Amino acid sequence: MKTRRILRTPLGIAATTLMALVLLTAIFAPILWGDAAEVVDTDDLLAGPSPEHPIGTDNLGRDLLLRVLVATRLSVFLAIAATVIAVVAGLILGVLPLLLGRAGKPATWLVGIAVAFPGLLLALFFAVIFGSGWQGAVLAVGFAGAPSFARLCQTLVSAVAARDFVAAARVGGVGRLRVLTRHILPNIGEPLIVNATIGAGGALLAFAGLSFLGLGVQPPEYDWGRLMMDGLAGIYINPLAALAPGIAVVIAGLAFNLVGEAAARSLGIEVGAGPVRRLVRRMPQPSASPAIDASEPEHADTVLDVQNLRVSFPGPDGEITPVRGVNLRIRRGEAVGIVGESGSGKSLTALSIAQLVEHPGEVEADGLRFLGEDLLHGDEASHRKLLGTSLAMVFQDPMTSFNPTKRMGSQLAEVASQHGDSSKRDALARAVERLGAVRITDPERRARQYPHEFSGGMRQRAMIGMGLMAAPQLIIADEPTTALDVTVQQQVLNLLESIRRRDDVALLLISHDVSVVAEVCDRVLVMYAGRIVEELPADRLQEAAHPYTRALLAAVPDMQTDLNRPLATVPGRPIDPAQLPHGCAYAARCPLADAHCRTADPELTPVRDDFRAACWHAGEPLPNLAADAAADPFETAEQVEADQVGAEQAGAEQFGAAESIDVVVEVQS
Amino acid sequence: MTAAATAPAESVRSANRPQSRWLGFTLRRGGRLLASLWVLITASFLMIHLIPGDPIRAAMGPTASAEIVESRREALGLNDPLLLQYWNYLQGLFTGDLGTSIGSQLPVIDTIAQRLPATASLAVLAFLVAILIAIPLGVAVAVATRRDRGRNLELGFTGSSVLMSSIPDFLLGVAGVWIFGVTLGWLPVAGRSGPESYIMPVLALSIGPAAVLARIVRVEMLGVLESDFVRTARAKRLPAWRIYLNHALPNAVTASLTLRGLLLSALVAGTVLVENVFAWPGLGSTIVQAIQTKDYPLVQGIVLVYGLGVLIINTVVDAILVTLDPRTTVAED
Amino acid sequence: MSELSFDAVTVRFGGGRNAVTALEDVNLTVPSGRIVGLVGESGSGKSTLARAAVGLAPLASGRILLDGRPLVQNRARRPLQIVFQDPYSSLDPRMTIGASIAEILPRGLGRVERAAEVERLLDQVHLDPRHAASSPARLSGGQRQRVAIARALAGRPEVLIADEITSALDVSIQGSMLNLVRELQAELGLSMLFISHNLAVVRYVATEIAVMYRGRIVEHGPAQRVLTRPQHEYTRTLLAAIPGRQPLTKHEGART
Repeated sequence: MKTRRILRTPLGIAATTLMALVLLTAIFAPILWGDAAEVVDTDDLLAGPSPEHPIGTDNLGRDLLLRVLVATRLSVFLAIAATVIAVVAGLILGVLPLLLGRAGKPATWLVGIAVAFPGLLLALFFAVIFGSGWQGAVLAVGFAGAPSFARLCQTLVSAVAARDFVAAARVGGVGRLRVLTRHILPNIGEPLIVNATIGAGGALLAFAGLSFLGLGVQPPEYDWGRLMMDGLAGIYINPLAALAPGIAVVIAGLAFNLVGEAAARSLGIEVGAGPVRRLVRRMPQPSASPAIDASEPEHADTVLDVQNLRVSFPGPDGEITPVRGVNLRIRRGEAVGIVGESGSGKSLTALSIAQLVEHPGEVEADGLRFLGEDLLHGDEASHRKLLGTSLAMVFQDPMTSFNPTKRMGSQLAEVASQHGDSSKRDALARAVERLGAVRITDPERRARQYPHEFSGGMRQRAMIGMGLMAAPQLIIADEPTTALDVTVQQQVLNLLESIRRRDDVALLLISHDVSVVAEVCDRVLVMYAGRIVEELPADRLQEAAHPYTRALLAAVPDMQTDLNRPLATVPGRPIDPAQLPHGCAYAARCPLADAHCRTADPELTPVRDDFRAACWHAGEPLPNLAADAAADPFETAEQVEADQVGAEQAGAEQFGAAESIDVVVEVQS
Repeated sequence: MTAAATAPAESVRSANRPQSRWLGFTLRRGGRLLASLWVLITASFLMIHLIPGDPIRAAMGPTASAEIVESRREALGLNDPLLLQYWNYLQGLFTGDLGTSIGSQLPVIDTIAQRLPATASLAVLAFLVAILIAIPLGVAVAVATRRDRGRNLELGFTGSSVLMSSIPDFLLGVAGVWIFGVTLGWLPVAGRSGPESYIMPVLALSIGPAAVLARIVRVEMLGVLESDFVRTARAKRLPAWRIYLNHALPNAVTASLTLRGLLLSALVAGTVLVENVFAWPGLGSTIVQAIQTKDYPLVQGIVLVYGLGVLIINTVVDAILVTLDPRTTVAED
Repeated sequence: MSELSFDAVTVRFGGGRNAVTALEDVNLTVPSGRIVGLVGESGSGKSTLARAAVGLAPLASGRILLDGRPLVQNRARRPLQIVFQDPYSSLDPRMTIGASIAEILPRGLGRVERAAEVERLLDQVHLDPRHAASSPARLSGGQRQRVAIARALAGRPEVLIADEITSALDVSIQGSMLNLVRELQAELGLSMLFISHNLAVVRYVATEIAVMYRGRIVEHGPAQRVLTRPQHEYTRTLLAAIPGRQPLTKHEGART
C-alpha cells in the first residue's frame, strides 16, 4: 500500500520508471548482448561513433554501447551487494548498545569516530587490505558504508527506545531481544530502507570511482567505472567512450536516489496532502452577524474592535475554517480572557488579531480596528510601526520564543532601534531598564546573557519586558503560563496585572485554564469550534448559561470539588474543524440538544445583563449531569468518539489519517 | 519564593559560563581528537598487517628472489614482534619519520611534503566555492518556497540538486576536460600550472557537495523559519530581511554545521578521484599509484595525512559551532 | 494488595563533576489499597521516583520494598506497573491495541484465553472491546490513555504508578480519566502512586499527599491535613499559588 502511494506522485512515477529501466537492463542486457559485447574487431580499433558502433569501439574493437549496457548488471549488482554489507554491519553495530547496555558503549564510541572519516577514504583503506578485484572492492565499499549506517541505526534506535511504549514493555517484563524485534525494528524499518536505497546510489558512485582508479573491477570483467577509465585515455579521439559509461552511472545513481527520495517524501508527505479522503462538507458560510456593534455605540476608549473574524486554511478537501466569525471589543485597561480547548481556535484568533497568521492561512473580517486604525486596509508600513509599538505579544513557550543565539539585551533593544529613532546604545539602555521593570534582578548582567541562561519564568517576564519597550496599549498573551510551574505562573500573572493597573493597558489573555482566566480577567469569552459560544463576567462564571461552559467548569476539579461524587464528564471529543456539522457545533456532545440544534446554528445573543450565549437552550437546567455520569459516564462518550473516528477514517490508511488530524490541530493551536 | 522556584535551574546553568564552556569544550573535544588520532594511527599501522599473504612478495612480484624479499622485510622491520613494530612506528611518527617508499626508496615524508600543497590548495578552494554557492542558494530557495509557496521552484530545486549530487565528481571532471579542454581549448586539460588550471578541478570537486549543502541549508532554514522565536521576531514587526538574515540564518547555519563537516571531509577525499582525472600532482594521484604498485609505506603515510586533514576539519567545525551557538558546550553525538 | 515503600532512595544522573542528584534519600510508603498523591513542580524528581520504582532509573543507593521485601520484577511476576503521561508515545504505532495489551499478559495463556482477557481489560477501562483490533492511530488521546491503563492492568499489578496521566489530555477529557482512576482503585483495591503537578487533581483522587521539592519529600500526610494545615513552607507556597483561591465554580450537579 505504501508503494501505491509512492507511485501516485509525479516524482514517484519518474523514479520507478527509471529504476525499472535500470533493473531490466541489468537482468536482460548480458543475456541478449553478452556475447556480442565480447566480439573483437581488429579492423576497427578505438573507432569513433559510426552507424555500426554508435559510441565507437575500444582498443580491441569491441562495441562500446553494448559493453556499457552489459556492464549494468555487474555495476548494479556490486552496488547492491556492498549496500547489503553496509546495512547489515551497520544494523549490528547500531543495535549493540541497546542489546548489551553498557557493554555496547565501545560500539557507539568506535562508530562515532569512524563516521567522521569520509567513505571514499575508508574504501581506499579497505581496498588496500582486500586487494584489487571486485570481491575486494565489494567488501571495501560495504565496510566503508557501515559506520554511517551504524550511526543512522543508533539514532533511530535510541529515538524509538526513548518512547514510552518501550519503557512500558520493559516494565511489563518483555526482554531486550523481544523489545528489539517486536517494537524497535518495525518502527525503524521504513527510514532504514529509504536510506539504504539512497545508500545504494552512493555505493554505485563509490564503485565507479574505485574502478575508475583501477582499484575495483579488473579485466577481463568490466563495469562502468572501468569503461570510463579506459575511455579517459582516448578522450581526444572519442570523448563518448568516457562519457557514455559516466552517463550510465548517473542514470542508475539517479534511479536509486529518486526512489529513495520519493519514498521519503511520500512517507513524510502523508501529513497533509496524504490519502485521507475526508467526508467534509463545505463549511456553512458564516453569516455576517452584526451581533454587538449595532446595539452598542463604539466608545472612544476602544482599543480593539473585531467584527466577524474568520481564519481559513486550505485543507486536503477544501478549505478548513478554524475561526468562524469572532466578534470582540476590548476597552482601555480592560482584561478579556478567551478560554477553550485545544482546537477551539482561540490561539488562532489571537494570532490573526496580531496580524501574525502566515500563508497559506487567510484572515478575513468585516472589521479589524486597533486604536482606531483599520488593519485590513491602508498603509502597511504605518501598521507595522503601530503594531510594533502599541501591541505586545506574549507567547506560550518561553523556552523557544527567544532566539537562542542572540543576547537577551539585544533581542529587546531591537524593538526600540527598529521602531524608534534611538541609537543602539540608547536602545540597549532601555532594554536593561525594562528588564528591571519586569523584576529581573541585576538586569545589566542579565542583558548580556543568552536565553538559555534564564529560567522559564524569567524568560516569560523578559518577553513581557520586550512588549514594554515601547508603550503598548494592548497585550495579547497566548497561554502565557501554561509552560510554567504553578508558583512561577503566579508571578507572571501578577506582573501582567500590575502593568495593566499602572498603565491602563488592555489585556487579551488566552488560556485553556478557566481558573487562570477567572483570576486575571474582567470578562471571559468561551470558544468552541471557532466561535465564541458564551461571553460572561469573570466573577460570575458559576452562572454560565451555555451547556458547554457549564460542563467545562464541572469537569475540572478545583480545591472545592466535592470528593464524594464523580466528576462531570463532557462526552465525545472536541470538534475537528474539517468536519463541522450543520447546526450547533456542540450538539453532538450536548445533553440538551434536540432536532433544532442539529440543523440551525445559534447566534451569540444576550441571555441577561452582561451574559451572551450562542445556544438555543441557554440557561436551561441540565439533565442531572453528575448523576448520569455516575451511572454510566463512559459508554456514551466512547461510543460517540468511536463512531466519529470510524466515519472519518473509512477507507483511509491508519497512519496518514492520524497524522493529518494532528496537523489540523497544530494549524490552529 | 522566587528564589526557591528559580534556583535549581540557575545552579545547573552556572556550569555554562563562557569560560567553562570553552574549557569543557577543549577538554572533551581534545579528548575525542586524541582518541580519533589513536584509532587513525593504529588503523594505518595495522593496514599492512591485515593484508592477506606476504605484502612484500606481492609488492615485488613473483620474479623477485627470496633473498631480496627477505632483506626488504628485514629493512622494513616486518620481522620484528608486532608490538615492537607498533612502538617503532609510533616513535617514527613523533620524529617525523614515516618510513621509506618501497618504489622510490625516498623517505615518505618528503614525497608527502612535496605533494601536499597541490592537494591542500585544491581542497581549500573547493571548500570555499561550495560554501559560497550553497548558503546563499539554500537561503534564497528556502525563503521563496516556505510555507507551500513556489511548489514548482521547490520541485525544480530538489530535482536538480538530486541530479547534481548523482553526478560523480570525476565524471564532471571528464566532461569538463572534453568540453573546455579538448573541444573549446579554453582551459588546460591536465596538470597544475597557472591559476586557470584550478578552475576545472575546483568546480568538479565543489559542485556536487554544493548541491547537497544547498539542500541541507534550505531544509534547516525552513525549520528555523517555523520556530517560535521567528514568530517573536515577526511580532516585533522587524522587516523580513532582518528576520531572515539576523534571526534565522545563524540558527540554520549552526544546525547544519556538523553535517557540513562530514560533507567537507568527503570533499577532501574527493580530491583523490579528481586529481586522477586532471593528472594533478597531489597526494590523490600519488596514493592511487602507490596502491597499484603496492608501495605500502607510502600508502600508510598518505592515509594518515588524509585522516589527519579530516580530523582537523571536524574539530574546526565544532569550534565554530561553539562560537556561534552559545548553547553547545561540545558537539556531542 | 501490597504496600510499596521507598527506603532511602537516591538517584543520580551523569557522573563526576556533572552528576545531578535527582532524588535524595527519599522515604515514602504507599500503603496497601490506598492512593498516595505525589505533587511537585517540574524537575522536582516526581517522574524520576516513578521510573526508579519500576527499574527504569538506576538507584545510587537505597531500596525499593514491596511488603517489606526487596522488589523483584521479572517475566513471571511484575507487581509494579506504570502509566505514562504522553498517550501519543505510550503505544507502539505498529501494534494493534489488543497486541499491546496481550504482550504484558502473564505467560502460559492460550490464544482464546488471551483474547478473552484483552476483552475483559478493555471493558474494565470502558473501551469498546472491538478496539482490540484497531491501531492506536485510530484512537483519541483519552482512549489511548485508557488502553495504557488496561495494559498496565494486564500485568496483574499489586501497585500501579500513574505519572501525570491527565496532563496531556484536553480538559473536557480529564474528568472522566480521574473518575476511572477512582473507580478502578475501588474495584480492584489497587495501591497507587498518583503523580501530578496539579494539587486539585491530586486532592480529588488521593487519600494521602506527599510533596516533593528538589528531589526530596518535604511533606507527607493525609490529604485533608496537608491541604488545610501544611507544615512545610514549600507546601504553603504551592497552595498559595493555585489560581482562583476564591471559590470559582459550584458544581453543575449541585445546582440542578
